[in-house]
Amino acid sequence: MGSPIKPPDEDWWDVPVNRRESIWLGLSVAWSMILFGWMSLWTRIGDQNPIGETYDVSTEEYQEKVESYREEAETLDGSIVPPSDDIYVAGIRFQWRGLPVVVETGKTYKFHISSYDVQHGFSIRPEDVLSQHTNLLALPGYEWVIEMEFDEPGTYHVICNEFCGVGHSSMHGVIEVRDEVNV
Amino acid sequence: MIFDLFDNDYDEDGFRTCNVTGMSIHRSVENPVKVFGLTAVVALVVGGFFAIGVALTRWEFVGLLGPEEFYRWLSLHAWNLLIFWMVFMEIAILYVGGPMVLGRRLPIPKIAKVGWGTMVTGALVINYAIWTTEAPNQAPLLTSYAPLPSSPYFYAGAIIFILGSVVAALPFFVSLWQEKSWGEGGSLPLVTFGAFVTSIIAVEALLGGLAVMVYAFLWRIEILESIDAAVYRQVFWIIGHGTQQINLVAMVTVWYFLTHIVGGAEVVSEKVSRTAFVLYIFFINLGAAHHLLSDPVVSISWRIWNASYAFYGATLASLIHAFAIPAGIEAGRRRRGKGGGLFGWLTNAPWKNPVFSATIFSIILFGFVGGITGVVMGQVQLNMTWVRTLATVGHFHGTVALGTTIAFMGLVYFVIRTMFMREFRFGRLASLQPYLYAATMTAATLMLMYIGLLYGVPRRIHSVVRDIPGTDFSLSAAEPLMMIFGPFALLAIISGAAFVVVALASVLFGERKLPGSDLVPDEGVEFESDEPVHKFDMRGTFVITLIFLGAFIVVYIANWYLLSQLWSIGP
Ligand code: HEM
Ligand SMILES: [Cu+2]
Repeated sequence: MGSPIKPPDEDWWDVPVNRRESIWLGLSVAWSMILFGWMSLWTRIGDQNPIGETYDVSTEEYQEKVESYREEAETLDGSIVPPSDDIYVAGIRFQWRGLPVVVETGKTYKFHISSYDVQHGFSIRPEDVLSQHTNLLALPGYEWVIEMEFDEPGTYHVICNEFCGVGHSSMHGVIEVRDEVNV
Repeated sequence: MIFDLFDNDYDEDGFRTCNVTGMSIHRSVENPVKVFGLTAVVALVVGGFFAIGVALTRWEFVGLLGPEEFYRWLSLHAWNLLIFWMVFMEIAILYVGGPMVLGRRLPIPKIAKVGWGTMVTGALVINYAIWTTEAPNQAPLLTSYAPLPSSPYFYAGAIIFILGSVVAALPFFVSLWQEKSWGEGGSLPLVTFGAFVTSIIAVEALLGGLAVMVYAFLWRIEILESIDAAVYRQVFWIIGHGTQQINLVAMVTVWYFLTHIVGGAEVVSEKVSRTAFVLYIFFINLGAAHHLLSDPVVSISWRIWNASYAFYGATLASLIHAFAIPAGIEAGRRRRGKGGGLFGWLTNAPWKNPVFSATIFSIILFGFVGGITGVVMGQVQLNMTWVRTLATVGHFHGTVALGTTIAFMGLVYFVIRTMFMREFRFGRLASLQPYLYAATMTAATLMLMYIGLLYGVPRRIHSVVRDIPGTDFSLSAAEPLMMIFGPFALLAIISGAAFVVVALASVLFGERKLPGSDLVPDEGVEFESDEPVHKFDMRGTFVITLIFLGAFIVVYIANWYLLSQLWSIGP
């Protein structure tokens, strides 16, 4: 009886469960529900959700989009000033096409994220508070449109955090966040 | 001498009765278990060796390797440890949990040999492919994410290895089938049931693996013109994640087995423990989706539903085992009169026996370090702050390098004593080794988590803390924690090497002796008493699990707090 290497007694299903084990089962079910509930709730009430539409796009199509966006845009201190709320970024070994870009606080931008070649990790952090960082995937063949709104001005650094080849560690770009952008 | 490694005192039919477990063991099972186990240890040595270069490069203070070498070493580290060390052990576990526990011969033993040979071939081909990687190919790391090309031999080796694993698992399935058709009816022992659940999950994983590697291979040899990066990721994670669930379920099975034999644990409720295993079958493979949480393409409801294992079905299962296993030790020991107070059953346990201490460390560290963080980073939004940073590496070293690896080390110690029948060489080191490895690896793992979470240091990158080529910006704020990580990582590697030294020295030069009673509780492994085990007190376990839940809640809240500090992302 009670041995895990012997067949159990015939009536094993009917053996009572210890009271403390039952309480633990209850707690576990409750905790599982909370985990699920909070995560779902955050998609409605939370400010940080990796949610946005994805579109199929060929590399050539995306290249055209990025280049026409760049042509339309003006520049400020060497950074792109997006002509509308759309911002285009493409990973290409080993740089971020579309960066550096300068944006305004309190304005919602649509980041279009994709890659011209292999997978890249689009990872952003403000220069002074490294514990604030986020990681979104740039996939070739797909254009991911995800909204972002920055509330603190500052220099935000983008590095690549998915291995993309031997030069991977040199992939760096900048998002400049300012209270006002006047061209 | 080498032959005497594979010979014990069998009777005319090739059976012997193990004087530790009381199991009736046939030669045809015991020898493959030894062979798979030894092969696994060889892979551990190789993968552990490459850990040196990985750790000393990431510790940029030393900065041992250049980028090309670093990615090569990282790939070899991952494949030899995560795949070869674990999967060879798992086949051995299937043979122990199936035919050995059931007291049967190994069916179709030739197939087992073919399986082993195929797996070894696959492993050699993969090692060769990675070692000889040249442009335009790139080191595959673990994932070989398309369309980054790896050597075609790499995909071929992976296909061979996967096929070999399926073949090697076949004798296990046949033995279950034999038990069901010729056995006495009734339910399988819990350990066999656990092994069975492992094997079901394994088959699903391996089929997915075959699909993705064939797909990538055909693309790499240019039969297919292009490869879809999103499809590759989704199918890859069927095996990439599935193998981790095999590691998990095999480890839980080993926990039930070893705590019983060396600690006097009993199953406090067959109903509850088996239900938990069944939950794994239903839900655990859905979790593959948690590798796609910060990805485009897949919809948010798909991500939430799958990554949460449908309302956390598999997490619930693990929470159940988290109680059932320590409760088994507590109630089992109380029943033997080894109770005393809240934790007397634990403090008077055989802590000098490395089989016991390794098993306990595995249980605790898997839960507290690997398990909690896994659920946390598996939440869709929190994932954005964990994924592709060193925090992720910390999480999975908590699960596989602490949890599973320590459990398997305990199992190897057990096999050395009871199947190779050797006394330990360097006995004191053997007793100490689980403590050393658990402590140093825990420190290194926690550092990885902090470095990743608090400073956003990416994983899989040659240099970023001291120097990002081409810019003044760097993550040098993480340097102090790196200075703690580096030495502990080295100590962990040395403690891992101590395991290998003890294991190999004992197998090759240990005194040959029937295992003594020091390995099992004084009253023997099976203890009869009128009082059923579920009636014994479990309050010590209850306290431990409440502390665990408390830690879980604290970590959970802290992570949500960190996330809420970010700027606004998404609608
Ligand atoms: C002995 C001590 C060990 C040390 C010091 C160590 C260190 C590391 C470090 C620092 C990384 C991250 C490198 C990076 O992403 O840049 C890493 C990656 C990894 N390690 Fe370990 N490790 C150890 C043991 C293990 C064990 C026992 C396993 C598995 C059972 C394991 C499996 C892996 C895997 C799968 C990766 C990820 C590879 C990838 O990114 O594709 N390690 N290790
Ligand atoms: Cu990269």
